Amino acid sequence: MRYLDKSIEELHELLKSKTIKPIDLVEEAFARIEENKDLNAYITLNKEEALKQAKELEDKEVDNVLFGIPIAVKDNIITKGLRTTCASHMLDNFTPIYDATIVEKLKEKNMIIIGKTNMDEFAMGSSSRTSYFGAPKNPWNNEKISGGSSGGSATTIASRDVPLALGSDTGGSIRQPASYCGIVGMKPTYGRISRYGLVAFASSLDQIGPMTRNVYENALLLNAIVGKDEKDLTSANKPVEDFTRLIGQDIKGMKIAVPNYFMSDIVEDNIRIQIEETIKMLKDKGAVVDYVDVKYLENAVTLYQIIAMGEASSNLARFDGIRYGHSKENPENIEDLYYGTRQEGFGNEVKRRIMVGSYLLSGENAKTYYNKALSIRDDMKKEFTKVFENYDLIIGPTTTTTAYNLTDSMDDPRKTFMDDVLVIPVNMAGLPGLNVPVGFDKEHMPIGLHIIGNSFEEAKIYQLANFIEKELNLNLEVRGENND
Amino acid sequence: MTNYIPTIGIEVHVELKTKTKIFSPSVNGYGEMANSLTNVIDLGYPGTLPTLNKEVVNLAIKAATVLNCKIRREMHFDRKNYFYPDNSKNYQITQSRTPIGYDGYVEIDVNGTKKKIEILEMHIEEDTCKSTHRGNKTLLDFNRAGVPLIEIVTKPCIATAEEAKLYLEKLKELLFYSDISDCKMEEGSMRADANVSIRKNESDPFGTKCEIKNIGSISNVGVSIEKEIIRQAELLDKGETFQEQTRRYDDKLGNTVLMRVKETGNDYRYFPEPDIPYLYVTDEMIEEVKKTIPMLPDKRREVYVSKGVSEINANKLIQNRPLSDYFNTMLEDNTNFKIASNLLLGDISAYLNKNEKVITDTTLTKERFIELIKNMEDNTLTSKNLKDIIDKILESTDSIEKIIKDSGIENITDDSAIREVIVKIIEANPQGIADYKERPDRALKFFMGQVMKETKGSANPQMATEILKEELSNK
Amino acid sequence: MEEKLTREEVLHVAELARIKITEEEIERYQVQLKQLLNDVEKINDVKGYDDEILIASWYAPTTLREDTSKEMLNPKEVVENAPRHSGNYIEVPVVISEEA
Repeated sequence: MRYLDKSIEELHELLKSKTIKPIDLVEEAFARIEENKDLNAYITLNKEEALKQAKELEDKEVDNVLFGIPIAVKDNIITKGLRTTCASHMLDNFTPIYDATIVEKLKEKNMIIIGKTNMDEFAMGSSSRTSYFGAPKNPWNNEKISGGSSGGSATTIASRDVPLALGSDTGGSIRQPASYCGIVGMKPTYGRISRYGLVAFASSLDQIGPMTRNVYENALLLNAIVGKDEKDLTSANKPVEDFTRLIGQDIKGMKIAVPNYFMSDIVEDNIRIQIEETIKMLKDKGAVVDYVDVKYLENAVTLYQIIAMGEASSNLARFDGIRYGHSKENPENIEDLYYGTRQEGFGNEVKRRIMVGSYLLSGENAKTYYNKALSIRDDMKKEFTKVFENYDLIIGPTTTTTAYNLTDSMDDPRKTFMDDVLVIPVNMAGLPGLNVPVGFDKEHMPIGLHIIGNSFEEAKIYQLANFIEKELNLNLEVRGENND
Repeated sequence: MTNYIPTIGIEVHVELKTKTKIFSPSVNGYGEMANSLTNVIDLGYPGTLPTLNKEVVNLAIKAATVLNCKIRREMHFDRKNYFYPDNSKNYQITQSRTPIGYDGYVEIDVNGTKKKIEILEMHIEEDTCKSTHRGNKTLLDFNRAGVPLIEIVTKPCIATAEEAKLYLEKLKELLFYSDISDCKMEEGSMRADANVSIRKNESDPFGTKCEIKNIGSISNVGVSIEKEIIRQAELLDKGETFQEQTRRYDDKLGNTVLMRVKETGNDYRYFPEPDIPYLYVTDEMIEEVKKTIPMLPDKRREVYVSKGVSEINANKLIQNRPLSDYFNTMLEDNTNFKIASNLLLGDISAYLNKNEKVITDTTLTKERFIELIKNMEDNTLTSKNLKDIIDKILESTDSIEKIIKDSGIENITDDSAIREVIVKIIEANPQGIADYKERPDRALKFFMGQVMKETKGSANPQMATEILKEELSNK
Repeated sequence: MEEKLTREEVLHVAELARIKITEEEIERYQVQLKQLLNDVEKINDVKGYDDEILIASWYAPTTLREDTSKEMLNPKEVVENAPRHSGNYIEVPVVISEEA
């Protein structure tokens, strides 16, 4: 029996009626992961603990819809007692002594952590190929990348190992792999979810978010993980809401903006055509869709590089071989310990970004560039706010291309950021954004639509995303019979 | 001492007296087992984030207030990036662009002349961990990591080592009195760095600056500045130049020694701390804090002297915070403050020292103290007799009157009882009467001795003298 | 404008970051960092900001934590993950004392 193909709500009913037990789901998840081992979606499996936890749950009341549901967690989210590597040699033997706030929340709901998913080293990359443990593969075509940095989470959802996963998104790291792998990925509003226990890449941009098979389950998972955390000063204090509440409502009269930049020639033709078709469908269904100009979008990548790498160079300074993590053997002196540890522990992309970030903050550069970038970021946010005065949502393609080959060159550092050119502005403005699959290219690689909402309006995004999902009714099962 | 004009600036780090650390809820404590006062935040574990201790903000506002600083209303924190093992994140969270206090001053008294030492700024930051060097290893104890600090930076407006010392003493007094810090230099809860340069004339540009780091006591600040001025002057006299540098004071050598020559400015890559949103200080916050500021030393001195306390006693009281606070509780009452200060600093202090107590540990309520003062003032109780009953006064709750009575040392203030004793003595000493005619003072002294002997010292001396004179002149 | 950074500039950055770089990398960074800076120069052409907004404006003002202590680590836990320790202390190669 393949229970894990069922919806969360169906699984919930089966668990409640004791038709199945949590351990059935856990065992099945591990069996599926084993089948898909070649995809390299996981860095560490939590097998022993997950089975033990599932057993313990048998005596507990099934008190919420996520009770007993297996979930995969990106390996930059701290799990007490469970190795957390950030896909880096620096932490490949690191067993944390505390839980991230979000992990505490999963445990409160009695969800079962199946394992820690593969990613770009310290979330720095957009193909997960900077992982110390090798890149995960795209389930739709094993020659292709899963995207990144949350590539492992996207892979394990696309291959239907587990129904739910967590990713993190600093400059598109949830939405871009979700698009490449044909799944639903949400980067919530900055501050929605506590970052306490998320290993920081760029603190003012990082946000954890749900990655799932469909829109409804994405909203269900978001329900469980949001909230003000007294341990994270940047987490937002918002009233409790049900993110599924608008799902199923009609979109007639909904006002949608499409920034011209998002449909310019930076986007591949087949993707643009697919998005245009979706737009046409939305208009047919009564939505109002206008093309608009949004200032600063073309500057987003530059601003991102300054802010993200500046913050990263400081955030990653703590990896020095003294208190935890990799450490150079027999250092001659303290400087040898620093240089040796960081030389051995960090991969090339991480070192490159630390170098760039340190440079951008050094001497007069912080004043000339960094502080200016921060100020312009704020203007970018204001431009978005202006659009939302007249529109409910903004849409466009999530990516400029579909997933490319694992063997494509990684040499051009700027190429990496151009992969994320459409998703980065959302992080720069702290807004929520979601990828929902809307079709396939000629090679049957998924194409995704990017829906951006105003701050804290995730529910509206889910409303539109669910509508599109239902209308298009795509077969998103990699092994589905209708795949051609 | 030299032909040069020194310019001195002082930076002081003060540990704040909070229960917990600045960015984590670990205990802020001293002298505990190594690494027993830490959590994952203090250790800079991956994924951890800072939270901001309310009391730190309050104490910083308080410090800004007592240092006469302007208080910034909107501020952020900055990261100062540098690799050093005592710094668990390899950056320190501080306030470089928006210090909470600025443009303040501390007034000192230089040989009777008031001088304002101007404060450029004061900001909030976190302390580093403590490192101990053992052979070829350095041991790290993170108990101190994240202890809240304020750093107070003066303008380069201090002219002499003496002024520097007076400033530090004043600063210490102020911060200690407002419960901001213990200010224990020996435990490192107050640490001073001095920047010293010299030049020939007022019109010359400032000379090359040398920084003396982490000086362990106020007197050493004075010595090290003096030595540093001489060192620089000797070099300049020889026509030599020197580089900007960091030095430290070596207690054994009694001189400053070179630590390192400063590179072309340290590149700390400051940038705004993205983990802490803007901090807004409101009028309400400032008002709340102001309510907690007790009367400060200068004000106390002024009030005490105006109430008839000698300047010496006023200063002594202020040096003893609990006594001064106790004294302050009586300021609204009508009593003899001169006697009050003498009593507190005399027999009461002796008792407290001997018994290792503070005044509030004793039974001496304000009301009983005022009664005691009254008895001293009208000579019901002599200083000599007080010594015999001071323990009782400070240990029992009986009224002073009762204690005096019970001890049988009650001053004989009854006119007729004393007169009876005096008449008897005069009659028994005819030689004394004769002497009185010749050398009245000496005779009077003799008779007084007899009176006191007879009354076991309980006669009111003033009254006895008068009656004696009266009776003797009748003879 | 120079086409690349000097070797010294690159080495200074590597030292700040405690990153070892090879001869080949020095040359690459001389060009790459300069190239990036040229990209970044573009933001100087972007108009429209008056105030310095240094902390993201969508952050709500900071909240303050009450001054009450919470559970701490046992010294054993502190040293457990440390590559070198001696008793309750974390250990590093000797550092010449120059506390900042």
